[in-house]
Amino acid sequence: MHEFESPLKPETAEILGIKQETPNIKTFKVRFIDKKRQKKFFFIPGKFMMVSIFGFGEMPISISSSPYKTDSLELTVNAVGNISRAMHRLKKNDIIGLRGPFGKGYPLQTLRKKNIVFFSGGCGFASLRSAVLAANAKKQMFGKLFVFHGCKSPQELLFEKDIKKWPSHGIETFVSVDNPSPQWKGYSGYITDVIDKAEIPVENTAVLLCGPEPMVNIALKKFRKKGFSNGQMFASLERLMHCGIGKCGHCNIAGKYVCVQGPVFSGKELEKMDWGEI
Amino acid sequence: MGYFLRKKNLVPYLEYLKKEFDVIVPVQNSRNATVFEPWKGQELFIEKRTIFSPKKFFLPNLEREFLFEKKEKGYKIHETIKHKPRVIFGIRSCDLHAIGTLDKLFLEFYGYDLLYRNKRNTTFTIGLSCAEAAETCFCGSMNTHIPDFFDLFFWEKKDGYFVEIGSARWEKLLHKKFFESTSEKKGSNPKCPVSLDTKNIDSLLMKNFGHVVWEKEAEKCLSCSSCTQICPTCYCFLVLDNFLKNGDSERYREWDSCQLQRFSKIHGAIFRKTRKSRLRQFVMHKLSYFKEDHGIHLCVGCGRCIKACPAKISLVDIAKTIQGEKNA
Repeated sequence: MHEFESPLKPETAEILGIKQETPNIKTFKVRFIDKKRQKKFFFIPGKFMMVSIFGFGEMPISISSSPYKTDSLELTVNAVGNISRAMHRLKKNDIIGLRGPFGKGYPLQTLRKKNIVFFSGGCGFASLRSAVLAANAKKQMFGKLFVFHGCKSPQELLFEKDIKKWPSHGIETFVSVDNPSPQWKGYSGYITDVIDKAEIPVENTAVLLCGPEPMVNIALKKFRKKGFSNGQMFASLERLMHCGIGKCGHCNIAGKYVCVQGPVFSGKELEKMDWGEI
Repeated sequence: MGYFLRKKNLVPYLEYLKKEFDVIVPVQNSRNATVFEPWKGQELFIEKRTIFSPKKFFLPNLEREFLFEKKEKGYKIHETIKHKPRVIFGIRSCDLHAIGTLDKLFLEFYGYDLLYRNKRNTTFTIGLSCAEAAETCFCGSMNTHIPDFFDLFFWEKKDGYFVEIGSARWEKLLHKKFFESTSEKKGSNPKCPVSLDTKNIDSLLMKNFGHVVWEKEAEKCLSCSSCTQICPTCYCFLVLDNFLKNGDSERYREWDSCQLQRFSKIHGAIFRKTRKSRLRQFVMHKLSYFKEDHGIHLCVGCGRCIKACPAKISLVDIAKTIQGEKNA
């Protein structure tokens, strides 16, 4: 009976480097130990990996590095649970388990020649950063790019280096913090309020969202008010996942499995789901 | 022409199978519950449908997935061992359909699950017709009263069983000593006491997300998860790691239930916090959501959840209320 590989079997990977992004968020640079596996590995931004910390468990983490970088991948992890806290305790050269990538990524392929708005809050920036890097690498294929990011305070700003670099590449960035410090020069308040202040063309533009669900909910409403249709918007959702292959049932929302039919859903699909209930 | 097994030959036949297979039969256990258990010569319980379905032989309530052996550098990953061929005898039509329903998800939907696949491939199923219907069963309405997904099916006759053949691998279960040829025909399962109009029920429930019946029934609900534990098609499981000696660890899976708050809990948020939303998830998953992806209902109409519920919440009554046949 062993002619088939188990899709649940993790493969070992090594931590190459750890970067402290904010007090609670670290970015891990990892690589499969099997060199052939690493060579074959590719993904679409928005897809996620099932990361095993042996003895603690397995959790879904989205990939935050560019899909065009093939020698390693980056995982941005917020320490909020048992497994993610265990991961934060790991050091360079420690071994973790990886499976994936799973899910459906952002539909960048279908957005060619269009303007794209990347809208994120908090740790949701991780999966969107990968999408921004991918779109920036093939800039001539897309129209204008807009990056919106909201976080609680200036210390909790993710990927500050990238955000500072992007305007010189022609990407318009809007960063807002809820609790600004005296030195803070960007927007303050909720990032959803910045939508009204920014000038974004409605026609020929797509919106990609990722972040806390109340934020996504309000942002969708505001973009709709601005004239965006449901087909123009795509949001990435977060749910409890234990298998990643549509079997364990935890991520089921109104019959849709977030792990295989998502995590990126179009506005049309979201309309039919009861995903807002928290 | 067909095959016939005399009633006096049933136990000798099972004893013959026991030489080659693990034989699992319905029995009454020490707590008077009727369950499927590995056969060690106990008396068979074949008069009625069992309280528990044979689900746990395909999806065990606790099962190791992997063993992670700590090496000097890294880990060695061991998978779960394979199984001895098994025969499950005495599965009713509804439970056979439950296996067929689980096949849809675990073998076809976005890839397969190897643990389920191994067990399914090494398990032979022998079905058994119902002499009388249970008081809450509604298999006629769910179209599961005609048996399917079996290797052999025993239709009970006056002094024996007419044997219907359902698979190509059935010859492994054949022994000429016990079977004789007959001119009898297969029978039919008895009519169910409960009925439910399932035509368009999936889209009707989808439209009635905010119906008052959810709130009303949920007030009675104790979130005890009896319904999901006893359901032959409820498959949700959680995966947990456990430390063993010397830095080794294991990963196992365990049944989970959508009726518990922890089921949808991630950092800081519980997505189905209210009993109303959890009860709705159970009923909608059974009668509506599953059909969208797989074309069949996740419910096989065995009526076990209705019988098991301590608060007397009935999936059939909820559906009938939404259909307008009953008042909330």
